[in-house]
Parts: sequence; structure tokens; C-alpha cells
Amino acid sequence: MPVVYVNIFLAFIVSLMGLLIYRSHLMSSLLCLEGMMLSLFVMLTVTVLNNHFTLANMAPIILLVFAACEAALGLSLLVMVSNTYGTDYVQNLNLLQC
Amino acid sequence: MKPPILIIVTSTIVLGTMIVLFSSHWLMIWIGFEMNMLAIIPILMKKFNPRAMEASTKYFLTQATASMLLMLGIIINLLYSGHWTISMIPNPVASTVITIALAMKLGLSPFHFWVPEVTQGVSLSSGMILLTWQKIAPLSVLYQISPSINPNLLVTMAATSVLVGGWGGLNQTQLRKILAYSSIAHMGWMAAIMVYNPTLMILNLAIYIMMTLGTFMLFMYNLSTTTLSLSHTWNKSPLIASLILALMLSLGGLPPLSGFIPKWMIIQELTKNDMIVMPTFMAITALLNLYFYMRLMYATALTMFPSANNMKMKWQFESTKKMILLPPLIVASTMLLPLTPMLSIMD
Repeated sequence: MPVVYVNIFLAFIVSLMGLLIYRSHLMSSLLCLEGMMLSLFVMLTVTVLNNHFTLANMAPIILLVFAACEAALGLSLLVMVSNTYGTDYVQNLNLLQC
Repeated sequence: MKPPILIIVTSTIVLGTMIVLFSSHWLMIWIGFEMNMLAIIPILMKKFNPRAMEASTKYFLTQATASMLLMLGIIINLLYSGHWTISMIPNPVASTVITIALAMKLGLSPFHFWVPEVTQGVSLSSGMILLTWQKIAPLSVLYQISPSINPNLLVTMAATSVLVGGWGGLNQTQLRKILAYSSIAHMGWMAAIMVYNPTLMILNLAIYIMMTLGTFMLFMYNLSTTTLSLSHTWNKSPLIASLILALMLSLGGLPPLSGFIPKWMIIQELTKNDMIVMPTFMAITALLNLYFYMRLMYATALTMFPSANNMKMKWQFESTKKMILLPPLIVASTMLLPLTPMLSIMD
């Protein structure tokens, strides 16, 4: 397996860690979600182009489309949180604890 | 929500799950999951209040992470096997990543933290869709890749799920959280048998969906979301109180009712495969589940909870809630045990 895949995989892991371990802002977890999507896009493109899976040439673009829809949904939820609380701190999302 | 929007959103949810169910291309499965997640957020926010918003945000974050992990597993599988079909996953790393992603979507422990909070924040009907329909798609994918899942991982997740589902529900009085922990425990039972006989997982899913739909509809009849409001059912609609009794016992898995069928079959299948400790452990932790069902039942149907004196003389109004298919669901959730020998047609 070429070394470039290790690099992109590491980028994914760093974004995943950034999603799971965040301090105060909801926006940073949404950004890390986009970072994960970007690293997956690059990994898929490199795989499809290097191995000549010609029929799968559309797959990275389809991934991009659905991830963009998801990002829009995440942003709209962020806007609603921000409308209610004024900021996007995640400490505000504490209404539903046991 | 206006009817045209509700129709579009509901049909997208159904379409998303259907795409997952009948695809053999991994990318289509991922697309089906994305459509499902995108369309269920408006359903979760039907009643607009801060709790619903917080529940939707938490649901979105966990499901989006799970989708990204699923895509990572798909790409690693593509890299090592060269095909996109959902048959066997030869690479153990890809198989582990995909299993973890699907466990996050299902709410298996140790990824169960979102289930009680999200179920609590949404309305009863949205919670019903969340706990029943949303489980179909991930479980169908797990069914199809079950020969190549790491058994140790799955059995560990199942064992911790039944523990968490049993212990977590003990301190709850909110009905939606109780049903959320019940869902975690049932997912644990389904995950335990997936390695040996995936057909029994489908049986468990079918019976669990019927019981949970019936339970939610009985709760929606009185619009009750806490144990206290459920304990007033004996006065308003005594028939519902006795049906809650039957359904709670069935959820707990007691013998003459049909909730016992999946537990019996799963324990039988596990012991046939020489696992003794696991089914014993699961059967014992099912007692924890049974305890909080019985406490609900005790408060609702077996005793009169302390209430003001004028509660005993309330007018019994007709409820106008639409409960679709409730009588067949109740019958199917409590009286199917004699039909168990019919399972031999699935061999």
C-alpha cells in the first residue's frame, strides 16, 4: 500500500479526534466533519485514479454532493442553536441530561 | 407541519431506508443512510422547543460521524478488495471500522450515549420512528456483512449494551428514556446472535418493533410521558392500563408472551455454539430490564398511585388520538408464542 494512503488516513484520524474532543464551540465540530469529508474525498479520488476504476470516477463527486447537503443541515442546526442561546457553546446543550 | 412537507419528508425517510435495504453497491447504501439522516431531522423537530433542537443537534452529530466512518470503511474495503459489492469484507480493518460505524448508528454500547437524550427531547411520535424505523437500515447492512464481522468486537458490544440498557434504565421515571434504554438492551441481544445466526436477529427485530410500536401508541393515547401521568390511566382508560401491563411484561421477555420468543431462540442458539457464560450473563441482566418494566406496570395497572381525591371521579372522555393498527400490534406482541415451531420454515 503506497505511503500516501497512510498520510490521508492520518488526516482523517486527526479530524475525527477534532470532532470528538472539542472545547466549547459547536462550529469546530462541524468544521472537523468537513475535514473528515475532505480527507475521504481525496482518499477515494486517489484510489479510483490509481487503480483505474473508471466506472467509479463519479463516486468522489457524489460523496461531495451528499456531504455538502449534510454540512448545510449542520449549519442550519447551528443557526437555530445560536438563535436560541446567542452563542454556539456546547455547554448550553445540557437540557436533556438525566 | 404542513401536509405536503410532511409527505415529502416521510417519503424521503422511507425511500432512504429502502435504498439501504435493496442496494448491493456500498455507495448506494451510504447514500441511503445520508438521505435517511437528512430527512429525519425535520421529523425530530416537529414541536419546536429548545429540547427538540438540542436532541436534533446531538442526533445529527453522531449520525454524521457514523456516516463518515462508514465511508472510511467503504474506501478501505475498495482499496484492498477492488470491488464495491456488499458481500464479504476480507480486510479486518475495514470490517472493524464499518461495524463501529453501524454500531454508532444503532446506539450499541459504547456508542449509546445519544439514545436516551435524543429520545427524551423529541415528541412521542418522533421518538417512535427514531427507535423503530431507524434501526432497520443499519441492522440490514450488518445482516449482510455478518460473516466477516469480528466476533469478539460484536460480542463485547452486545455484553456492554445489555448491561448499560439494564442499569441505565433503573433510575428513570421519564417514559421516553426508559424506552431508549430498553432499545439499547434489545440491540445488545440482537448483536449477540448476529455472529451465529443472523435470521434470529431479524426475528428479534420484528418482535421488538411490534412491541415498541404498541408501547409508544399506548403512551400516545394518554399523551403521557412520565410515570406519574401514566399512573392516572386507570381512571381515564382502564383498558389501556391493562394493555400496558401485558405489553410491559412482553418487553421484559416473560414466558407466555411473545417477547420471550427471541430471548429463548437466542439463548438456544448461543448454547448450541458452546457459549455458556454469555447467555447466562445476558439472561441475568435481562432481569434489570424486567425490574423497571415491572415498576412501570406496578404504578400503572397494579396499584392506585397516590393522587388527589377528585382524581377518582374524573370524566372519561373519548380520546381522539389516531392509533394505527393498535389491536393487531397488541395481539402480535403478546400472543405469538404458540407459533414458535413455525420458525422451522426458515431453515
